[in-house]
Amino acid sequence: MGGIHTWLVESLAMIRDFASFMRRALRAQLRPPPFGELVRHASDAGVGSVLLVTVLITFTGMGLTVQGYSAFAKFGGEDMLGAFVGIGGVRELYPVMAGIIVGARIGANLAANLATMQISEQVEALEVMGVDPMHYLVAPRLWAVTLMVPVLCAYAIAIGLGASYFAAVAQLDLNGGTFIDQLRANVQWSDLAAGVLKGLVFGWLVACIACFHGYSAKKRDGAEGVGIATNRAIVQAAVACIVFNMILSAIMYI
Amino acid sequence: MSNPLVRAIETVGAVSGFTMQLARCIVTGPRYLRETIRMMELLARRCLVPVGLAVAPVAGVIALQGVQAFREYGVEGLLSSMLATSILRQYSPTLASIMVAAQAGSSIAARIGTMRVRGQIDALAVMSVDPLRYVVVPGLIACMIVTPLLNVIATFLGIVSGWFFAVPVAGINDGAFFDNLYSQVTPLDLWIGMGKCAFYGAGVGLIAGYVGMATTGGAAGVGRAANRTVVYTIILILVADFVIGTLLLNQGL
Repeated sequence: MGGIHTWLVESLAMIRDFASFMRRALRAQLRPPPFGELVRHASDAGVGSVLLVTVLITFTGMGLTVQGYSAFAKFGGEDMLGAFVGIGGVRELYPVMAGIIVGARIGANLAANLATMQISEQVEALEVMGVDPMHYLVAPRLWAVTLMVPVLCAYAIAIGLGASYFAAVAQLDLNGGTFIDQLRANVQWSDLAAGVLKGLVFGWLVACIACFHGYSAKKRDGAEGVGIATNRAIVQAAVACIVFNMILSAIMYI
Repeated sequence: MSNPLVRAIETVGAVSGFTMQLARCIVTGPRYLRETIRMMELLARRCLVPVGLAVAPVAGVIALQGVQAFREYGVEGLLSSMLATSILRQYSPTLASIMVAAQAGSSIAARIGTMRVRGQIDALAVMSVDPLRYVVVPGLIACMIVTPLLNVIATFLGIVSGWFFAVPVAGINDGAFFDNLYSQVTPLDLWIGMGKCAFYGAGVGLIAGYVGMATTGGAAGVGRAANRTVVYTIILILVADFVIGTLLLNQGL
């Protein structure tokens, strides 16, 4: 019981800290962020993730198709594969996988970066120089990731559909026309818009969680603190993406 | 040295060497069983909540989207068999392994990296304790054993959450759900899921150990190690998942 009690107290304290961090971060985010920093982080988050997203979503899309085929072949519904990939992939799997991947790469990067600055007293140094670290460090990162993840999500949907089509036609020898017809019947442009909207939410969540854990690293924890911050950022960003994906899907599709 | 091809070959060689060394450490003594059990307990406790929180919502989403699609074809009774197959074979092992990579992989890499940059790894070696045996192997074994066990819990939670979204929320008949739940599932599906998890878990432990031991450059290096471990492990899991899926399909399993 003692373990649960401390866990509960620590979790509540973390939620309280997160709320107060978010209040300060949002206030900083509403002022125009330093433009040069914003561009630097946006290109790092966006362009830096393109290769990773391409490789991983290609395999996710091909995997989804192959797995879906083996499930549908059991009850003779191979022709439903286009619908399966359209609904399961475009609406759910591609955006959420993009969120998890980007959360693991960018989120961990942000957290490690800010935590290193925190424990090497660079944040205090900024404060001493009269620069608001929230405005100079946190706000551009929040903006950059929030703006870049939706773009990556749209890109992931395109790549994923291409990979699924490739797997269905080239690997499984299905009829490409049927696949496209099924896809057209089940997926609208609004689904792509929903994916981009999900990306916006995922990006903002990933950025907030990562910046919070990075910024809250304590100097006395040293190198270990950087590891802890990175670890928490990755795990909580992934869980947040999955849980909010379910909430958004429940809101949008019911 | 800056030639990318040369560096890639070098990395492949170093990783294979590292794997061989670990294999030798596992086969021969001395083994640190107490440390291994401590790691297993720690990993199971730390990963349980993230794994559950990852698999249950995904199962819920499959149920929600599946209900609509299956209704159009008038076969909504088959929803539960699709749900059980995809959870058991595919989503539960993959997501459980990804969450183990995120939680256990990054924390093992960060821990080993911290020990490395603080010189504790060298201190162990000076005390003639092989750091591979004492630090890396327990993590590897723990990941390999704990991931399949977590997968069982995640599968169960996934099916419960799928039931919740299909029956009380979307109004599927309760009897039809349970009648079809096990119609397409065999024990083989569970074993395939467990086998995948053991393999991915071993990958998590191996990559975390390798990246952690290769950490350089102080606190920033520790963050980089944790980050890289997760990215490399997710790449491994997704690529291997596709390859395994294709192989199983070709074998007709």
